[in-house]
Parts: sequence; C-alpha cells; structure tokens
Amino acid sequence: MATVKRCSTAYKAVFYAFMVVSVIITLFPFVWMLSTSFKSPGEIFTRQPTILPQVWTLAGYKNLFAAVNMWLHLCNSVIYAVSLTALSVLFNAMAAYAFAKLRFPGREKLFALLLVTMMVPGQVTMLPVFLILKSMGLLNSYAGLVLPGSAAVFAIFMIRQFMMDIPEEILEAARIDGFSEFAIFWRIMLPLCRPIIATLTVFSFIGAWNDFLWPLIIMLREDKYTLPVALASINGQYNTDWGLLMAGAVVVVAPAVLVFLLAQKHYIKGIAAGAVKG
Amino acid sequence: MLSVAFNSLLLPLSLTVFSLNNMTFKNTLAIAVLLFLCHPPKADAQSRQLTVWAMGAEGKLIRQAAEIFERRNPGVKIVTQAIPWTGAHEKLVTAVVGDMAPDISQMGTTWMPEFRAMNALEPLNGFISSSALDTGDFFPGARESNVHREQWYGLPWYVDTRVMFYRTDLAAQAGYNKFPEDWEEFYKFSRALKRSKNGGYAFALPTNDWQIFLMFYWQNGGELLKATPVPYQGLWPSDGQSAPLTAGKFEETIAYLKRFFDEKLAPLEGGHDTDLLTAFESGYFPVFISGPWMISELEISKPQLNGRWATAPLPAGKKRASFMGGCNLVMFKSSPRKALAWQFMEFMAGPEMQAKWYAASGDLPSSRKAWSVPSLSGNPRLASFRKELDTAKAPPQVPEWENIAGNINDAVEEAVFGKVTAQAAREKLSARIEKILVKSERQQSAAFKIALSLLLFMVPVCAVVLYLRGRRASVGGKCQPIAILFLLPAVLILAVFLFIPIVASFIASMTNWNMYGVNDWTKIVFVGLENYVGLFGDPVFLAGLRNTLVFAFIGVPVSVALSLAMALALNAQILRAKAFFRVAYFIPVITTMVAVAIIWRWLYNPEFGLFNLALERLGLPAQSWLSNRWLALPSLILMAVWKGFGYNTIIFVAALQSIPDSLYESIALDGANSRQEFWYITLPMLRNTAFFVIVMTTIGYLQFFAEPYIMTGGGPLNSTMSVVLYMYQQGFKFYNLGYASAMAYILFGLIFAFTTLQFRVQKKLERTF
Repeated sequence: MATVKRCSTAYKAVFYAFMVVSVIITLFPFVWMLSTSFKSPGEIFTRQPTILPQVWTLAGYKNLFAAVNMWLHLCNSVIYAVSLTALSVLFNAMAAYAFAKLRFPGREKLFALLLVTMMVPGQVTMLPVFLILKSMGLLNSYAGLVLPGSAAVFAIFMIRQFMMDIPEEILEAARIDGFSEFAIFWRIMLPLCRPIIATLTVFSFIGAWNDFLWPLIIMLREDKYTLPVALASINGQYNTDWGLLMAGAVVVVAPAVLVFLLAQKHYIKGIAAGAVKG
Repeated sequence: MLSVAFNSLLLPLSLTVFSLNNMTFKNTLAIAVLLFLCHPPKADAQSRQLTVWAMGAEGKLIRQAAEIFERRNPGVKIVTQAIPWTGAHEKLVTAVVGDMAPDISQMGTTWMPEFRAMNALEPLNGFISSSALDTGDFFPGARESNVHREQWYGLPWYVDTRVMFYRTDLAAQAGYNKFPEDWEEFYKFSRALKRSKNGGYAFALPTNDWQIFLMFYWQNGGELLKATPVPYQGLWPSDGQSAPLTAGKFEETIAYLKRFFDEKLAPLEGGHDTDLLTAFESGYFPVFISGPWMISELEISKPQLNGRWATAPLPAGKKRASFMGGCNLVMFKSSPRKALAWQFMEFMAGPEMQAKWYAASGDLPSSRKAWSVPSLSGNPRLASFRKELDTAKAPPQVPEWENIAGNINDAVEEAVFGKVTAQAAREKLSARIEKILVKSERQQSAAFKIALSLLLFMVPVCAVVLYLRGRRASVGGKCQPIAILFLLPAVLILAVFLFIPIVASFIASMTNWNMYGVNDWTKIVFVGLENYVGLFGDPVFLAGLRNTLVFAFIGVPVSVALSLAMALALNAQILRAKAFFRVAYFIPVITTMVAVAIIWRWLYNPEFGLFNLALERLGLPAQSWLSNRWLALPSLILMAVWKGFGYNTIIFVAALQSIPDSLYESIALDGANSRQEFWYITLPMLRNTAFFVIVMTTIGYLQFFAEPYIMTGGGPLNSTMSVVLYMYQQGFKFYNLGYASAMAYILFGLIFAFTTLQFRVQKKLERTF
C-alpha cells in the first residue's frame, strides 16, 4: 500500500473524475448496446442519436426471436457450459489429487510433460480432434463438444498447487481410520479445496459460455448452435438490422454478466492467486 | 415446451452457483449427466422424412414449396433449414466431411465441381431415365453445371444473371432518357449523374467482387482459363495462346473500372456498410448491379419508388457478356432416402413448380417452358434479364473455383486501390491460379505412406515413454496403484484429444491433404516441408503473419501499460468503493468476443456510428474505420485492448497489494517522493508479475481470430488477416488440411519462440537488478 499522503481536494477531484471517465469508457459500449436494442430504426439510423431511446420498442427483440430460436441456443449454451464445468472439475480434481497426494512412478515427469503441452495453441489440435470426433461419430453432439475440453492441464496445475498445501497428517489420519482413497478425495480433499474449485467452476462456466471457435466447428446443424455461434450467424445474415443484432448481443451477454456478478469474488480472487503465486 | 426450457435453464444455473456453498456437488453432477442424456432425439429416425438445406432468400421461401409437396404426398415430412450465405460454403464442406450432410441441398453452380470432386453428389442418370422429367427443357447454360462427362449430378433450380438497376428519374435529371449502351457512354453517364445531384456516388461498384469484374472482363474480350492446363504439371502449354488470364484485356478492364474509383464515381471505402436499398431510395447510389431477386425486394420494401426505376442490360464492351449464375438442387450420396429425395427434386424442377417458384421468389426459372407464363413473358422488367441470358457465361467448372474466386477478389482489390499496377496484379493472379491448379503427379505406395506415418507417430510416443521411464522416479515410498483410477479420465482424454492430435497435426502438415483426399486416400502424399516453404511464399499468409505480429507488438504494450496504470489507480488509498471499479473494468473481459465485435462494428459504422458522429461534432472528418486499409487493424487493436485490460488490472492489483508496506515506509523515511517510490520499489517488485502478464497477453494476442472474423473478414486488402483466420479459411473452407496444419505449427513455433525469448530477457534483467 502506498504511504498516506496529504492529498489536496483538487487532486482528489481530478482523480475521481479520471476514474469516473474510465468507468464510462469501459461500460459505455454496453449501455449503447442495451439502448440500441430498444430503439426503432428511425432512432437508430440517425445522425443525432440520444443515449436513451425516445420511444422504447421491443421490435428488435421480437424480430430476433421470430427470426432465430434463441431459447434453443440458450439451452444449448447452458447444456454445454454446465456439462463441461461439471465434468472438467471432476476429472481435473481427480488427476490433481493423484499428482499431489498419491505416489506412483514417473509422477513428476508426467506432470512436467503435461505442463509443456500448455504452450501448444488450441488451433494445432483443432483439425485432428475434428477428424477424431468424426471417426467416433461424435460430431454435432454434446459429447463431442464437451469431451475434448473436459481435461485441462491449467486446471490440474492450479488444483494440484492448492492440494499440495494441505498437510499430509490429515490424510494419514483418514487412512488410519479406514477411509478409502476415493472417500478421502470426496469427503476431505474436495471440501478443503472449495476456493479453488469454486474459482475454476466460474472460469469454466464463463469460458464455455463465451466459447466461439470450437462450437463453430463442431456443431454443424443450426439446432445445435450455442449462443455465440448463433449470434455470429445472425451477424452474417441480418447484417444491417442493428436493432435485432443488438438485441442478440444483449441476450448473449446478459447471462454471463449475471453469473459473473453473482460469483465475481471467486473469479477475481482466483485470477490473482494464480498469477501472483505463479 | 417453454417451461421445460426455463426449468432446464434456471435449475442447473442456480445449483451451480449456490451448491458450492452447500457441497451438493453430487446434485450438480447428476443434473449435468441428465441434461447430457436428454438432448433432443434424433430427427431423422423416420424414413418418410427429408432434410433440405437452402440459403439466403430461398432458405426462407422453400418452406412454402415443401408444404405443397407434403400436401401432395401425405405421410412425407420435409425438414427445411435456412443457411445464411456467409459461411454456407464451409458449412457444406464440413457437413460432407463430417457425414452430417442433408438429403438435398441448394448448391451454387460454381460449387458443383468441388463437391463432385469430393465424391459427395449422387449421380442421377438412373433416376432421370425412369422419370417423366424432360431435361431438354433446361437452358443450356443451366445444364452445363449439372452434367459432367454425360452424367447428371444435380437438377437446375433457377438461373440468374446480372443487370443494371437504375433510377430513371435521376437519370432523366442528368439528361439521359435511355440507359447507356456501351462503356464510354456509361462512363459519361456516371459523371453526369454525379454532377447533377448532391453528394453520394454515381454507381455502387464493389472493389472486390469477382462476378462483376468478370462480366466487364469478358465484355472486353478477356478469357479465363481458356485452355485447361495439362494435368499433373499445372502449366499451360507454351504456345503463347493459352494462359489463365488474357494479358492486355485484364489491364484495360482494370483501367476502366479504376476510373470510377479515382473520380469518386464509386466508393473506394465504406461501400459495404450502407444498406443498398436505403441508398438507392435516397439517391446516394442511383445505379447498382444485381440479380432478379432485387426486383421483388424493391417492390416489396420500397413501393414508394415504383415507376422511378428500371433495369437495363449491362453496357457492352467489345461484345456483350454477363454472368450466368443460379443454383441447382443436389442429392448427397450419404442420403438414406434417395428415392424420396428424387421425387422432391423432380417436383421442384418441373415447369409447374418453376413458374410457381418465380411467382413467390422472383428467381428466374431454369425451365424454358416456365418462361412462357404471361407473368414472365409479358414483364418488361424481365426483358433485360432474358436478353442477358442469351449471352451469359458461366465461370470455368473447376473444383478449386472458390479458392480461385477469392484470389480474383484480392487481385482486383489491390489493383483498383492502386497498391499494385494492373499488370503486376494480373501476373500475381496468374501465378496463384497456376499454383492452385497444380495437381501432384507424385504417387506413393500405400505401404510407404503407412510405414512413414507410423514411424513419424512412434518417434514422439517412444520419446515420451522413454522420458517417463527414465531413471527411477524421484518419489520415495511405496507406489499406490489406486492412483491410476484417479488419473485415468483426465490422462485418457488428454492422450486422445491433446497428445495424439499434436502429433497427427505435425504429420498432416507434411502431406498435401486437400479436398481430393477426402474420399480417396491414394491422393494424399507426403511432401516433406513443401507446405512450410509454400506458406512463406504465400502473400496472404505473410500478410496474416505481419498483421498478427503488429497486433501483438502494439496491442500488448498498450494493454499492459493501461492495465498497470489502472491497477495503480485502483490501489490508491484515496479511492473508495474499490470493488465497484474492479467489477466494472472486468465486465468486458467476461463477455464473448462475438457480442463485443458486433457492438463495436456498430460504433465504427461510418454513417451512424458514434465515433464518426463525435468526430464530426469536433469538426474533424469522418473515417471509414473498418474499410480503410490503414485504420482497420488499429481499430481492432483498440477494441481488443478495451476488452482485455481488466484482466491484467486485477492481476496487477493483487501484485501491488502483496508488496510489503515496510518497503514503502523505509523509503519514505529516506525522504523519497512518489515518483521515486514507484521507480525503486513498485516497479522492481512487480517485475515477475509483469513478465507473467506480458507472456500470457502475447500468447493470447498472437491467436486473434474472432475480431477479424466478425468485423472485417480479413480485409480490406488483407490488412486484418490473421494467422488463425487464414488457417480457418484454408482448413474449413477450402479443406486444405495439410496447408492449415503447417500454419498451426508455425503459430506454435512463434509462441514458443516468444515465450523462450521473454524468459531469457527476464533472466538477464534479474541479474542486472
């Protein structure tokens, strides 16, 4: 923390003005998105726009839902986000437990190998995974969409670091009491790791919600599109219908913002923890 | 149905958010599995059901045709799907490759050879011979794209050609009662038009549309792919007669079109962002080229213009020529219901439905009998089209047409922008066309290919195994076999979806895998490092590489500096409500790039976007942000920085807070001011975090894709093309898998190089401090 300084009121005023301006710049595009979605074409295509619509209309949303089945895409996004989050947290936590607390030959080396793969960009594996899924018959299915992402080295790494800080004595005591390894994992380790698990859950959910390239490639039929893919498709088709496009953007952005606002404590703590501890 | 949707929405969402506090993780897992299993049942289970894909306007109208068919054939259900034109090509390619093709699809005439080469289309001669359909009824041009070596692969659906649409009242104002008939007249007419009105342009000529360019080029006597290249060598015979393009004619055409841009008769930038019909009504664009669908669109959405516009054939160059386009209906080989599919195709191709389809859509029938209907033969507006159809030409039927067309777009754009001379553009284009058409003459035995693949695959696998075996594991104590159970799911998934693809991608990058290899593995051969070499000679890839590096080199410092500044501000003692600011800065981070790109596309709109309106208030000239070749990339950088700075801000705040107060206190005792505090305490203590931030941000920026995909498509003039975008196009649009894989590895190499470099720099700086 910086030392306490004598701060003049002028300095404070300027500082606060700067901060307020910065927040306005950050959030204004969203305000604009929201307001445009409620405007009629007359108010959108004008060279003297107002921040709030003078005549509020739901036409953008009506056209959006008439043109595209947004509920379907919303459901698809939810299914994708929830399934991926649940599976990945489970699989990653299990693997992290093995790397942190169980002993087996080659443990450290295998872990180092996994870390190296973190540097490989996703695009390298995109095409072969597409073909592998095709040969398994899993294209255009939720299983194909979720499986490849349900194990992530970054998550295993984060959870492992956390688990390593948990004292051995707790586990030893549990083993002496006759707990099976799985019971130890489920009843002791996971509850103790709640902060990091919560963080990764939020990370994973929001990441899956916003994921664009991957569902674009895997989901081939329109009825399986997730929200970002549907939105991109709308952008291509209703190119200049800005009321409709903004309504679409609102529908895609709002749930993510909502979840974030509810759980932002975890998210922000997690990013900081991962970065600073390194 | 809606309540079910709601329940499946709210329940898991609330459980996810709140269960973590109650540790009902099990419940969440159970719900996830249930949702997984409860996805909609497969729709094609019934045998009397057809799936039909159609694009654009046809996609919306085909429902009506399907309903007529369903009424005449009770028990049959047709599921129609409307596909937007953008991305339709890659959708079809991916669908065929992924075995997800529909029974029937609308297909552009220029796409037929490609899908034929992929062996995706069902041959139709058997169906035709036992049917009452008269295939002699179709226009010869329409038949051309459906028949290959005497075998029919599709049925013509509708034809179209392009004519001029113009405002008769504005033309009269400029002194013209008849539309000009040749090039010179048309040029004079455009000048008169521009002079006679206030603002706007004379002609909505696009800078990069191969269809329009080809029409003028053909009119000038130019030829495209006049003689098919000698197979397996890809080189034109050196008789001086044949070449991909006709020298001289190409340059003349460019010179003529360039005049329109140079004299501001047509817009060089910002043409795409204006709504064409609104501009036609306001007189901004009094003349444009389009097809028959535009007639009904004008009549429906701009009835107030009735009587004030007309169509006319294109002004003739040395001869008349127009573009013969249209769509066919094809049946895919993978369809399990071919007999039923044929019935529908036959139904759509017959004269009765052809006339009905015209009435509904304005699409011109491909059946000549249908033209005898009074609404067609007596319609004055269609007379221009009928005239053009007689001299309309179709582009060459080669499978690589989409790729070639894209290159024509690029070449024309560069030439009219003046970036290269017309001659240089032609030579470059010819070279690229030759390169695209080259077919490898190499044959490699299957045994050799399999052996080499296995070898290349086993090398890394063995390396990994040896590494893991190594010296005995440093973990003391007894081994716990239960570990395998815990490891199994994650490691298995990583092995199948991470390790194997990494190796497979490398192997693929050394082959020439492309669309010909989709169904015929003998066509795939190993080419060593040819793809990599080819990439470094590929101007589009080099542009993408340059842009990606610029994006990172400019974007990362700006973003990191901004994040640091905001973090310092957030950390200031005098700030209240820190949590509010933190959350606010983070909102852009958690929204999807697609939504952000759309919002910013609107902000950058040249006519109504806020940025230009603000500039004009300040008395500065408006900019065409996304269609100006110098401003497009900076516009994307600005958006990316805005979106991402909150993330690094949080990291910096956490790092700032972990600097011990004692350090600040001791330096304050020595009488340091805040600037010295920052320089001698804050910055050095942030060093590690800063490096982490720079590395992660760089890796992210090097992979930018969604920004250009949504906002610019890689243009203008490839100034926003990125490596990943080009990779996506080559891999999923043109199915050049080998080429795309090589690109992915180059990207990997880039990231690896940067990360290593930055670690080295960090170590050096550590020693200095």
